[in-house]
Amino acid sequence: MSDLLRAPAEIKYAEELEWLESIDDGPKPFSWRLSPKMVRLFILGSERSDGLDREISQKWYGDRSFVERSIVTLASDRGLLLIGDPGTGKSWLAELLSAAICRNSTLVVQGTAGTTEDHIKYSWNVSMVIAKGQSRESMIPSPIMTAMESGAIGRFEELTRSTSDVQDALISILSEKYISVPELDSEGIVFAKPGFSIIATANSRDRGVNDLSSALKRRFNFVRIPVVTNKKSEVEIVRFRTEELLRRHQIELEVPPTLLDVLLQSFADLRASAAAAGSDDGKLESALSTAEQIGVLEDAVLHSNFFGERALTARTLASSLVGSLARREPEDLAILNKYLHGVVEPRSKEEGGSWPEFLEGGRDAIATLS
Amino acid sequence: MSGTHEGTFQGLRAQLQEAAATFADGPDALEGILLGIVDDVDRAVREPLEIFPVCHHSPASAIAMARRLREKQPKVVYLELCEDMAPLLTELRNCKLPVAVQSFATEVDGFPAEWSPLSVVAPITEASAEYQAIAYALDTPGVELVLVDRSSDHVFQWDARGTESAEPADPAAPPAEEEAALHGDAVGVEIGDLRPRFAELEEYLLRHGKVRHWSEWWHQYVELPLGDSDHDTYRQVMLLIGSLFRRLAPGDPHRVRVDEDRERYMWTRMREHLAAADADPADCLYVCGAFHAASRVAEFGVHGTDTFEVSPPTATTWQHGLIPSSHAAIEAQFGLAAGSVSIAATVWAKNLRRTRVEPFRLVGQAGAKKSRAKKAVAAAEAVPALPPSDKLTGFLRQTPALDRLDEAELLGWSVEIVRAARRNGYLASTADAIAVFETSILLAGMRDRTRPTPYDFQDAAVTCIEKDTVPGRRDVRRLVEIMMGGDRVGQVGYDALPPLARDVHDRLAPLGLKLQQSGVRRALLDIASQPELERCSDVLWMLRYLMPQGAARPIMGERKLGERSIQESWDLALGTYQRALIELGYEGVSIEQVLEQRLRRLAYDRRATAASVLEAVEDATLYLRSRRLADELGTHALEVLSAERSVDGAPEVLRRVRRLLAYYRTSEAVLPPWIESFVKTGYAHYCTLLPTAFTDDDATVRQVAAMLGFLFSMESLALSLGCDRTQLELAVVQSHPEEPSKTALLWAAQVHLGRLSRADLRNRCDELLGNPLVVPAYPRYLSGFVHALDPVPGLTDFVVEAVSNAFGRLPDPVLLPWLPTLITTLRSGGSELAPLLIREAGRTFPGRLAALDTWVPPWRAQPEAVRPARPAEGGRGCALLAAHPATCDAMASLLGCEGTWETADSGPAGVALTGRHPDTAVALEALLAGA
Repeated sequence: MSDLLRAPAEIKYAEELEWLESIDDGPKPFSWRLSPKMVRLFILGSERSDGLDREISQKWYGDRSFVERSIVTLASDRGLLLIGDPGTGKSWLAELLSAAICRNSTLVVQGTAGTTEDHIKYSWNVSMVIAKGQSRESMIPSPIMTAMESGAIGRFEELTRSTSDVQDALISILSEKYISVPELDSEGIVFAKPGFSIIATANSRDRGVNDLSSALKRRFNFVRIPVVTNKKSEVEIVRFRTEELLRRHQIELEVPPTLLDVLLQSFADLRASAAAAGSDDGKLESALSTAEQIGVLEDAVLHSNFFGERALTARTLASSLVGSLARREPEDLAILNKYLHGVVEPRSKEEGGSWPEFLEGGRDAIATLS
Repeated sequence: MSGTHEGTFQGLRAQLQEAAATFADGPDALEGILLGIVDDVDRAVREPLEIFPVCHHSPASAIAMARRLREKQPKVVYLELCEDMAPLLTELRNCKLPVAVQSFATEVDGFPAEWSPLSVVAPITEASAEYQAIAYALDTPGVELVLVDRSSDHVFQWDARGTESAEPADPAAPPAEEEAALHGDAVGVEIGDLRPRFAELEEYLLRHGKVRHWSEWWHQYVELPLGDSDHDTYRQVMLLIGSLFRRLAPGDPHRVRVDEDRERYMWTRMREHLAAADADPADCLYVCGAFHAASRVAEFGVHGTDTFEVSPPTATTWQHGLIPSSHAAIEAQFGLAAGSVSIAATVWAKNLRRTRVEPFRLVGQAGAKKSRAKKAVAAAEAVPALPPSDKLTGFLRQTPALDRLDEAELLGWSVEIVRAARRNGYLASTADAIAVFETSILLAGMRDRTRPTPYDFQDAAVTCIEKDTVPGRRDVRRLVEIMMGGDRVGQVGYDALPPLARDVHDRLAPLGLKLQQSGVRRALLDIASQPELERCSDVLWMLRYLMPQGAARPIMGERKLGERSIQESWDLALGTYQRALIELGYEGVSIEQVLEQRLRRLAYDRRATAASVLEAVEDATLYLRSRRLADELGTHALEVLSAERSVDGAPEVLRRVRRLLAYYRTSEAVLPPWIESFVKTGYAHYCTLLPTAFTDDDATVRQVAAMLGFLFSMESLALSLGCDRTQLELAVVQSHPEEPSKTALLWAAQVHLGRLSRADLRNRCDELLGNPLVVPAYPRYLSGFVHALDPVPGLTDFVVEAVSNAFGRLPDPVLLPWLPTLITTLRSGGSELAPLLIREAGRTFPGRLAALDTWVPPWRAQPEAVRPARPAEGGRGCALLAAHPATCDAMASLLGCEGTWETADSGPAGVALTGRHPDTAVALEALLAGA
């Protein structure tokens, strides 16, 4: 186990990647470390029928065609833009893709309102410039430039959060595949090596903040990642991520399957009510994504471990659900209150199980907050 | 004989046994399944009556069928299709495919009433094996087509509604277009339903096939490899798949029982037919779904046992017809992926070109391209049957035949989709075409295919062209579907329509529109200049009543009691709503008949109210002009009214009776007896209910007002028919409302009846306003007064006064919250009352701002002691006449009066008169003398 709080995918799965590379005999585009099929295998996990000697675990859950389309896009001339609601696993997929393709998922630019063109091109080490003048040594390449130079995948998180002039700088990088450095006379142009591409992510809820220009849109292939609504895969994701989390915190605590069901069911109910709501006031502010579910569970697990009886109860789960989802007062609280009384209460009378305790916990949490 | 046949699959058996032993560590269930599959195939292949397994919407099945029919030329074709649908199949040639054969029943007998109407549809597309079989059998002399599946009646007899849920639709977004709803909520039956009934198996197949949905799996792993295979291979592979799905089914007992009963049914019917027609099984062909071909029931085969008893049909009367269908409707009904049926049609057309197989097509098939009239059907010699050989081993072993990349076709698609995307608002360019082309090949490579399937291409197009928003109505996925053949909507030809629909088209012929075609047509009816169009207008109004919204929509013109329009214009979409029209045809032979039935059903419904029955009377008069039906329904309305104990429908009853009375008074010499009785009964009825309604909390003030309206406005008629006014007076005396608005209503009624003077009423209102304890309730009194405008219109000025006082004297905390209530009340309930109030207010209040300062409300003005004498206006006119005699003379001559103006001063007025009319004078003189 590495001593990093959170190891990037290429370190975390280094051994698996090595092994895959050793058995990979498929054609590899450019300087890719794995062939497209192996990239898919790495991300989606192996089947018995793949005839491998060891099992490769599934790391990203979702429609396989999304992964295939993403890989194929990276093998083509265009950049990849993963777009979707928050918490749908866009960044995770981007990380896995870069780890599998070039073993480096850390060439990341985080798009914010303060991101400048320097962040995606280059900047200067001022003291070195004063000492030695402008040269390649005194230049600080951005992660994107580094990716270009090494023929790797550069990542751009939250593309739509950055302003349009920064976005425009990407256009020439994506089409001409070089960055010119006018300050340097010789070596004034940094060309991209084969294998370079960009994976950007964008949050569909941020649409309209900094809309992409048509020119930039044209240079990206869009892959829309939907919120997982399939209960079965959602169970798998939540279980996968929770186990990972428990391992990371070195907590030994059992998550009872009935409580997992309660959590999934309550999210499914809240999503249904959000879909039926006419206005924004009738919806929770949260996107109710799978990541949100994991967050609720994580919160509950940590709480039970450190403050509770070292066992996860429905009561803790309910209070963590209310705590995580109630962001606006009074709207969100009203919705949760309505949900508890309109849906959970009849259900706890009918089905029993963990529901009555869940209801109690939820009520208490709402009472505390309001 | 059996010895030789057992040897047919011996090699395969041994191999599978070995495989089972290797993978499952010894003989167990796996071996049972694997060998059982071979047994199933073997048994079906050995059956003397040739079984031809098919799968629905499979071009490979259709091609194999066409080939086999040409080879074998069977004398009898048994088809897995509801046996009662047989007579309709010849009508297929009059239709543009796809259409669906429909069985329909509205009057159910033997099934729960809530199932009604029952409907079964069997869609038929051109690229299907069943159409090949039908076309061959119907157009080849001496060939008999026998439908052997259970009848539509049995479909419902064996139905276990409520215990099983409907087939789950494909999770991919269903097309939200109206074509998808072409089948309505009919139960679909289809030949060759072949799909794993085991969710895990399907998931497994999809996962390992690297495909997204079932249609794609089928296309990739069965359709393409079987495309060019010979008959034996085709048959054995289909049997194998049928058997596999059957053996791996989870065994839902009800579903299995229905399936097996169908097989028993079909084999029983076939044996019956073989015996009756004395046919040789070798000359026959049995076309059924691969699932049923691998049956293990005892009744299976020509030599099967005859133990199955076909249950008698229920007494339900079934109607049959053809309705238009569409690819989208078929996909939606049978849970297929969107676009799969269209892709199948495209593949079929392509296969035909490639394999040069001559398909069968019904002679005169509407909507088909003219064939090159090659009648080579009989020319081919029937090929003698060879003993079956094992084709499975080879097929299962061979690596998937990889279709080589058809670069030109893919390029064509890429360019085409970019053009289509541009037309739909996407910013797509040639660069995108290149990217789509490249991505398709990369995707196909990733999915182990050398050639991109249409589904790979679709994915590639979505990846490269679809951005964050969809600019137009259709997204790229849908555009690819359209490009790959698009949805095709069938049409039922005129000759195949039921009599009612033909009659409608005949009667609308004077409009000169192509109403059979889909789309909206605008019809202009100038009835004033072409009176014969009035009959068309009648038909259109009936269609508007009977058909779904949008089928016939009046743009201009309306139909009201006692009014005739002279010009009308309509938007007609009868072609688009063909199914609805055809289903009307199941209910009767003419629209009048259907309308009459509907009205009668409405009126005699258990939940019918007096108001709804009166509505039916009105509709009968409006649309059917049928006095007979109106009288009958009117009499029924009377019965319904007498049985009613609530006053909920009073406003509606009042409105409708008034309208009908007005109509009968103007159009008929005497009122129909029923309406006289209705008024009489209604008067007594509402008098009886009045005291309760005044106190009942459930009765609203509007309803009570409507009751009073009925009583007051029908009073004269009711009294003339023998009602007693005392009854009404007593009813009013007995009424003691507590609710302020109803109290106000009662006061108004008392004023109308003369039991309360206006001065008293004014005093009461003043007291209310003056008493601070009651003031908050004043607005509710006002609503009562506003509602009283309808029964007592004479109070209008008083209501204006009351409202005006309210505005003037009510404290703001009471007035302001009440204002919205007043406005909403007037809007919702008083649309006819508001103009009355406004007119009266206009009369009362000054019209100009300047006049407002000096204005004194009439009710505050002191009664004028002496009315000023009217000026002698007559004199003024006279003076004018005398001053301008020429004008007067001209006017008189224009009006045709003789004489000229004479001034009156030429003697006493009587003299001139006696001079002019001496006879009168003489007669008067004689009279006076006589007296």
